[in-house]
Amino acid sequence: MPRVKDHMPVLIMGGLLIIYGLIVKTGILLPMMKYLHTHKAMDLQMTLTLIVGGIVIVGALINSVKEPGNSILDRFFLQPLGGIVLILVMAMAIRWYLEPLVKIMSDSLQPLLGFNVYKVLNLNYVVLGILAGVLLTNTWGIPKFAEAGVKCARFVLKMGVIMLGARYSFAELAKLGVYSVWLVGFFVLGTVFLVLWLGNIFKQPKSMTGVLSAGMGVCGVSATVAVAPVVKAKSAEMAYTIGTILSFGIICMFVFPTIGHMAGMNPVQFGAWAGTGILNSAQVAAAALAFNAVDIKTLKVAEIFNITRVLFLPIIVLVLATWFGKESGQKLSFKSVVIDKFPIFILGFLLLFGMSSVGMFSPPSHYKGQYIDVSYNDRTQVTSEEWETLKKAMAAGEFSALNPEQLAAVENLIEQRQIAGNYAERNDGKVFDRVGRARMAELEGVLAAAKAKELTLSSDVKSGIKHAIKQVHKKSKTIVTLTDFMIWFFAFGLIGLGMQITKKAITQAGGWPIVMGVIAGITKAALSFFVVLWLVKDVVLN
Amino acid sequence: MSDNKGKKVIIETGEAGKGTSELSESANTEELEERALSVFSSERNEDITALVFCLITTFLVLLFTKWMV
Repeated sequence: MPRVKDHMPVLIMGGLLIIYGLIVKTGILLPMMKYLHTHKAMDLQMTLTLIVGGIVIVGALINSVKEPGNSILDRFFLQPLGGIVLILVMAMAIRWYLEPLVKIMSDSLQPLLGFNVYKVLNLNYVVLGILAGVLLTNTWGIPKFAEAGVKCARFVLKMGVIMLGARYSFAELAKLGVYSVWLVGFFVLGTVFLVLWLGNIFKQPKSMTGVLSAGMGVCGVSATVAVAPVVKAKSAEMAYTIGTILSFGIICMFVFPTIGHMAGMNPVQFGAWAGTGILNSAQVAAAALAFNAVDIKTLKVAEIFNITRVLFLPIIVLVLATWFGKESGQKLSFKSVVIDKFPIFILGFLLLFGMSSVGMFSPPSHYKGQYIDVSYNDRTQVTSEEWETLKKAMAAGEFSALNPEQLAAVENLIEQRQIAGNYAERNDGKVFDRVGRARMAELEGVLAAAKAKELTLSSDVKSGIKHAIKQVHKKSKTIVTLTDFMIWFFAFGLIGLGMQITKKAITQAGGWPIVMGVIAGITKAALSFFVVLWLVKDVVLN
Repeated sequence: MSDNKGKKVIIETGEAGKGTSELSESANTEELEERALSVFSSERNEDITALVFCLITTFLVLLFTKWMV
């Protein structure tokens, strides 16, 4: 084995992975995993580390005896093996240890700070992965054995973007209120074009402008990650965009509720404004709750506007892919500037989006794999103990403080033992579904009022209602599994891209992304403020 | 043209983006920089491979979570 010394780090990592897999198998780590809430992934941790460790050792041994060549095996497996395993180990450490730890620390700091750092700063595997990559490359540097493997990052990131398509459905967009779709659509497209125009004015690279426009227009981090390979954004440009969006969002999260109160906005108006003007989903929810923690309507409306905005992602990807193809091409035919330059992997994203929209993965009306099913089902019922508790509470007059709609929803829950539509209307799917969902919304309102101490309910009653609501919230196993793949692809890709962000690259991007982001963000927030005040009265939902 | 070929430009490449390389000024630097950061010889190959891998993954996921359940 002439080159075994060169491949020693890879062999060691492979060995460590196998040792880790065996330790997990013994169950010694279970208490720690339970503390970190990662115990459900115990089997995955064991299987993945054992398989990857085995493959890595075999690959490193082949590398040690074989002369480097230019075959497919060499180019795509043997040469990049060191980098692939390094990034995978980092991704595992982030997914199984760092992210759960950050979550736990954020939860314990929440009472002190008043907000959840993990959610608000979006400190999930996306941001942590990029930061880990940046940290490694700017401190110790990328180890020599890993250099070739880092080049796989963009390819794996593209696979993540394709998988992202499965999480959205056109049916969900079509179901949302026409009003919110128009309003949000106008602001999403308006912001995208504003940033593109600003980029032109400030003479910024197309890749930077493209990725920033998606980030500022649609849904922050996921849009940035999805659009980055479309407009061939450099890693530093992507990191800058994410930084700009998150910092701008944090400011909005504190400023929006104050302005909303000063302007005398009602809950629906504020929900619409926050859902349109703030980019990050967690920041939207935080602002809505800060404005009004009692009226569930604020949060609901904000979420609907937020979902509408997120669902514009496939459209924006298409728009930017066309724009980039057109901008970077010469003035030739439509085919040569748009079709030939259209990124092929985006067809995969659109294909999965299409499959998701026609209901191949779950009922078409889903959002990120979650959907509400209020049809009759034994498994959707509350337990007999919960049912008895609710009946007794009703007889004891515990629900007397509820408004008539909320009371009717609780009465119906007791009558049917589950959240559902009217039995007589069971053959008319649409009406049945609408009535069931309305009852669920009323019950959510009851819980919100109890949480805000507007009414007093016993903990058993609250838990019964909470369980009934949980029972009608379903998750598609197919989309959950596809999402798991997406998360691993993104984690891998983003750590690798983070490794390409050097201090020099960050300096080269300069401060323009922040300037453009702030201009676009303030314009959008201000315009949507006036439009919402002018147009949104009370009913924005269908 | 011959003058162009003689001139050199430096682009960010190598060492996964950390290093630099010297190239002819007439070279398509953007494309070369892009390729230097990828294991694939062209973007088309990269995209098609990603698409095929994802379709296989999706098929397997559907098989084990929906069709065979």
